[in-house]
Amino acid sequence: MSQSASIWLAEAVAVYLKEWRCELRTRYALNTLGLFAFTTLVVVSMSLGAEGVLAAGPSVLSVLLWILLLFAVTAGLPRGFVHEEETHTATALRLAATPSALFCGKLAYNASVVFLLQLLLTPLFLIMMQLSVEKPLLLIWTLLAGGYGLAAGGTLVAAIIAQARTAGTLFAVLALPVLLPLLVMAIELTEIAVLGKAGDMAMPRLLLYDGTVTVVSLMLFPAIWNP
Amino acid sequence: MKKLLAWILWLWIALMIVGAFAWAPLAQDFIGESSRILFFHVPMAWTAFVGFMAAGVWSARYLWFGRNVRHDQAAHTAVSLGLVFCVLATVSGAMWAKVMWGEYWNWDPRQLSIVMAMLFYMAYLTLRSAVADPQTGRRLAAAYALLGLAVAPFLFFVLPRMSGFTLHPEPVLNQSGKIEVEERMLTVLIAGAVGFTALFFWVHNLGRRLLSLSERAAARPIAGES
Repeated sequence: MSQSASIWLAEAVAVYLKEWRCELRTRYALNTLGLFAFTTLVVVSMSLGAEGVLAAGPSVLSVLLWILLLFAVTAGLPRGFVHEEETHTATALRLAATPSALFCGKLAYNASVVFLLQLLLTPLFLIMMQLSVEKPLLLIWTLLAGGYGLAAGGTLVAAIIAQARTAGTLFAVLALPVLLPLLVMAIELTEIAVLGKAGDMAMPRLLLYDGTVTVVSLMLFPAIWNP
Repeated sequence: MKKLLAWILWLWIALMIVGAFAWAPLAQDFIGESSRILFFHVPMAWTAFVGFMAAGVWSARYLWFGRNVRHDQAAHTAVSLGLVFCVLATVSGAMWAKVMWGEYWNWDPRQLSIVMAMLFYMAYLTLRSAVADPQTGRRLAAAYALLGLAVAPFLFFVLPRMSGFTLHPEPVLNQSGKIEVEERMLTVLIAGAVGFTALFFWVHNLGRRLLSLSERAAARPIAGES
């Protein structure tokens, strides 16, 4: 590996580790995402009840799973860059890491938080909603690809809103139009996995979306981050 | 020259309207005269898409080619106008849906696509109003417009084809990509698309100049103040 590439990698890893170190001190994102998702799941489960869950069926329950994940992400992800601006550590970050390394470090952190949330939430959801999955491996891949997409779109939008007023409410307004195609495709794939239906093009479409948002985010982040 | 072009545009649109009501035949399998709304609905939807693309192009020019304020003003105006055409396309489509299928909203994939595009436009305008510093606002809005441009193909082309079901007419929008529309109808449809696109850029030019003047006036100190 060339020297510049290894420096870039070191910067990205340093940002990723720094994020986890800060998070483990306060546990803000983990608590917010986890409790928000779990509380919403309990509310939905209690509201539907046993009969409601059976009446809802796999299609509606697939939608509910992704709505839970989306709401949790909307509650927990915006803090990523807002915190840097509030504590005035953004300038230090601009000096310490190149924009692309910084973005990849933050993206890796957000993606790992989303994956952790999915790891906790999905088994609970399947149990409480009495949902059986015909293609479990496909569901796992869908959660990984969809969760990564949520993190990728959410990280760039979090960078945009960090320099705006009313950052918290603005995140949902800006992120939802970007994340809607991802959600529709992820819900379709989840339904395919749960019901065991055919769907050859569904996963390539989702991966194409993930790749597009990642590449575009890497191109746009330097302009957003550097004045 | 500009006056001549303006007269040509108005004449073009007038002829297109006359053609839509008096020259083009009615489409098959449509209720009564309701097919005539397509000569307005389709060009409006097309123009909303053009607005989307134009905002992206001008945002890219602003962000990566000189940070010229005129490009940002052009992008801002394109988004505002694109939103107007989005709303018009949605409303005209809903009116036609009510006549054809008895309901204003039918969860057709293309109806959903145009609403998602509307959400994008509104989010862009919300972002602009939420940033205090104008320079920062321009930079962030340009970045968001480009993110929207990247996601637009999924909204307009991928999602509508996912379900394989649409209430939109097959002769115009079908899997084979061929347009199987009667010749006079196609002529009026294309004339409408060209006319509405020209109208978009004409109004856009006026809007951008107005925005430039209002921003310059806002930047001037009030008389008597230092």
